[in-house]
Amino acid sequence: MDRNQLKKWFESPAKMGHKYSLHVVYFCTGCGIIEIPPSITARWDAERFGVIPVATPRQANLFLITGYVSVKTLKAVIRTYEQMPEPKFTVGFGSCPINGGMYWDSYNTIKHLDKYIPIDGWIAGCMPRPEAIFIAVTHLWTLIDKEMADGYKKYKENYRYYRANQEQLYGKLDWPPLFSEEDKK
Amino acid sequence: MKSLKKKLESSFSDIKINITDDSRITVNIKKDAVVSILNFLKNLGYEHLALISCIDWIEENEFELVYILSAYMEKDQEYNEKEKKTILVKTRISREESKFITVINIFENAEPYERELHELFGINFEGHPRLTPLFLERDYKIPPFRKDFDTRKYVKDVFDKIPSIEERKK
Repeated sequence: MDRNQLKKWFESPAKMGHKYSLHVVYFCTGCGIIEIPPSITARWDAERFGVIPVATPRQANLFLITGYVSVKTLKAVIRTYEQMPEPKFTVGFGSCPINGGMYWDSYNTIKHLDKYIPIDGWIAGCMPRPEAIFIAVTHLWTLIDKEMADGYKKYKENYRYYRANQEQLYGKLDWPPLFSEEDKK
Repeated sequence: MKSLKKKLESSFSDIKINITDDSRITVNIKKDAVVSILNFLKNLGYEHLALISCIDWIEENEFELVYILSAYMEKDQEYNEKEKKTILVKTRISREESKFITVINIFENAEPYERELHELFGINFEGHPRLTPLFLERDYKIPPFRKDFDTRKYVKDVFDKIPSIEERKK
């Protein structure tokens, strides 16, 4: 362990715990998922950074959105995100979730993913190399240190607006709101 | 290759056959004869329907359906492993009516292909058991793969009108 970080460990052990145990939910969207097998296995070995894929969203706290999100996939993305326990972090991977990328005029691809769920960081590129995932992870560590990776708090506060955006796209969603208005009072 | 062409020409009238290269034959035929030619080819050993595809010829006001067939086994006398053949059966249907007859009773695997064409081109296959949505989540006034579907206008109307969270807060 790095001795310089001992102070941080004593001050806020929970935060340091979150930092070094990022569990990625195994959710594949688009073409970026092809970068995940080499990153988590022996070639690049994401476990050096404490990043490990897990089977269900209930055990995960990092959501990598690995490529374009179609209208149908967005439903699954929202439901997966809502099932993850807090604190949870999301990273958009590749240029398609940022603004549509090469699918900017497609009839069935979501253009700006941060209109529907909060995103803590983006990795630009088409495709980003596995190294870029680790750079993103180290950036995420700094964000967690400074308490800037607070997308899940924003989602709670602004849930009305996110839900309104989701409903504007789908008409009616087939699951009830996560937080009702009464919960806030 | 050439004997197959002769065989087809002798059994069907009003047929145009192109041998595009060593392994590919294009058969243009009227829409009434499609079912019988597919049956004919299936009996010759072309049992594998690889794909049903569609082309939108908007200027001629027609859809072109393409049935792509190939053979698994050595039933056809001409067939050998080195020269695998693909047969493309092409037919034109009217764009306004946009309906055709299903071929599920000949090739069972046509079911998802026809469903896909129904969804993306709006072609109604008569006799198909379930023409329900396959991939798409939203309703489109014009099926999105038709040439007169304006994707940019659609993106502007739907995705760009959704405000960001900061805009919505105001």
